[in-house]
Amino acid sequence: MDIFLQQLANGLTIGSIFALVALGYTMVYGVMKLINFAHGDMVAASAFVGLTIYTQVMGQATSLVAVIAIFLLSAIVMACVGIILERLAYRPLRHAPRLSAVVSALGASLMIQNGIMLIWGPQMRIFPELIPQVYWDINGVVISLIQVLILVLSLGLMIALYLFVEKTRMGAAIRASAIDQDAARLMGINVNKVIALIFIIGSSLGAVGGLFIGLYYRGITFNMGWQYGLYAFIAAILGGIGNIPGAMLGGMMLGLFQAFIAGYVSSTWADAFTFILLILILIVRPTGLLGERVAEKV
Amino acid sequence: MKNLERFGFPAFIIIMAVLPNLLDPRWQAVAITFLIFTVVALSQDIILGKAGMFNMGQALFFGMGAYITAILNSQYGWPMLATIPVAILLPALFGILLSGPIIHLRGDYLLVVTIGFNIVFVQVVQNNLGGITGGPNGIFGLDSISLFGTQLTSQISVYYFAFAVLLLTLGIMRNLEKSKVGRALHYLREDQLAAESIGINTRLYKIFAFGLGAGIAGLAGTVFATQYSAVSPEAFEFIQSVLFFSIVLVGGSSIPGILLGVFMMFVLPEIFREFATWRFFIFGFAMILAMVLRPRGIWPASFGKIPKFLIKESNHGA
Repeated sequence: MDIFLQQLANGLTIGSIFALVALGYTMVYGVMKLINFAHGDMVAASAFVGLTIYTQVMGQATSLVAVIAIFLLSAIVMACVGIILERLAYRPLRHAPRLSAVVSALGASLMIQNGIMLIWGPQMRIFPELIPQVYWDINGVVISLIQVLILVLSLGLMIALYLFVEKTRMGAAIRASAIDQDAARLMGINVNKVIALIFIIGSSLGAVGGLFIGLYYRGITFNMGWQYGLYAFIAAILGGIGNIPGAMLGGMMLGLFQAFIAGYVSSTWADAFTFILLILILIVRPTGLLGERVAEKV
Repeated sequence: MKNLERFGFPAFIIIMAVLPNLLDPRWQAVAITFLIFTVVALSQDIILGKAGMFNMGQALFFGMGAYITAILNSQYGWPMLATIPVAILLPALFGILLSGPIIHLRGDYLLVVTIGFNIVFVQVVQNNLGGITGGPNGIFGLDSISLFGTQLTSQISVYYFAFAVLLLTLGIMRNLEKSKVGRALHYLREDQLAAESIGINTRLYKIFAFGLGAGIAGLAGTVFATQYSAVSPEAFEFIQSVLFFSIVLVGGSSIPGILLGVFMMFVLPEIFREFATWRFFIFGFAMILAMVLRPRGIWPASFGKIPKFLIKESNHGA
């Protein structure tokens, strides 16, 4: 039972990181029908940006204000990168064949990933200990302060995003653009602004996810973006891509699944089991768990 | 365009036929790599470009062919050439079996599932399943090809082996273009519903394309194993699939475009070795630039002999 509860705690932690990153994929896909392959590398870049802000700007301070500043500054930097990316690599291809935009996204992914390597070097860097190492031992199940913070903050951000998308006018504009861009334009919605907005939201949520990865795993490498990006993308698909609650559900599910595989089977097979789960779910429900069945447009 | 096909093609083949005799061993090795990766990229083109299925796991079939040759040769003592039929048929069978249940998935889902197949494959060989794949180090010390009792150990003979495989692949591509199968694939890529309504069994042709592409990639894998007399998991990672995927689309799914793409991705880095750390950064930039400037690829494919004025602008693979 101990191992079950322990892996439950670990799974919820990584699951909330996956969910945060998955939201970036799912929102971009929802409006643009594009797999933003560069998103995972943006997440990785955020961890490195956070590291540099900590050493260069904050003078290695770990006070509460400094930590909040690191999170905000990283999110702002990544939001700017996201907007630039959309402008240069995706907007010119909005009316091009679908696969052209996919190749452009892959190119952006390679560029960001190797840009990190050129700036920060190919070796693993250690992320600073921003949050004090506090542990609680509850009947043999060890939970750290970092885990609690990640879970609470992620849930808070996700609820805020959900309310934003469902309850505000701008959220309604996002939902309208996701359903039909042309109709949204006719209703007076500036779709370009909506797309810029989802890149800002997605990139900053991804930035928070990247900092969480740094805090939780400590070691960060330039190419980790593909791994986490792929997991988060699978989470988005599991929940039904384009669906915001689906991304949260998929992220949590995938985190728990991987934690239990690591706990009961072996972490060397985690990828294989993850994809087998994905393939099985897609065979049974081709549009993911919460995805709606979309009729083919003729 | 027409003249280029008439004269450029034979010229290319003649140049490639005499090329290894003009090169030193290092460049011979690069030329062999060029041939092998061209074959894999063409096999990817059958699935992605011709049939329009978003496959991003071509390195799986390539690696499977290479591993089958390596395992049969090192564990069971088969001669290298005898492994070829298995290295073609088993990946083809796998392609058919894997694509069967997923062929109906929407494009992007198919993309992710094929990525998944690739990653599962690499994990399986890395974890040394069944104790025959050699784990992370792979398998080395394979035999060279023996033909009529002579050992073909020289690099030039490997080159001509690869060249023969490329010619075979080009022949298949050419036949595909002019046959019923090729036309069916063309229609179903342009408009699946319309193809179905005129009686094309789209599911069958899609699975056929998967099997054919997988078989050719498997054969390329045998050549790869012969060149290095070794196989290891990192040669078949997901990044390789990404490169093949991009080569087909950046090239425009035509044979000259694909040759150009393979040349840029695998030969240019050998020429500009001092920029090795910049390699993927520059590729990434070039991929974005190529797509923004030429969304249909550098050298877009045209199909068959349809007069130009009859062709309406349409969205390939949209």
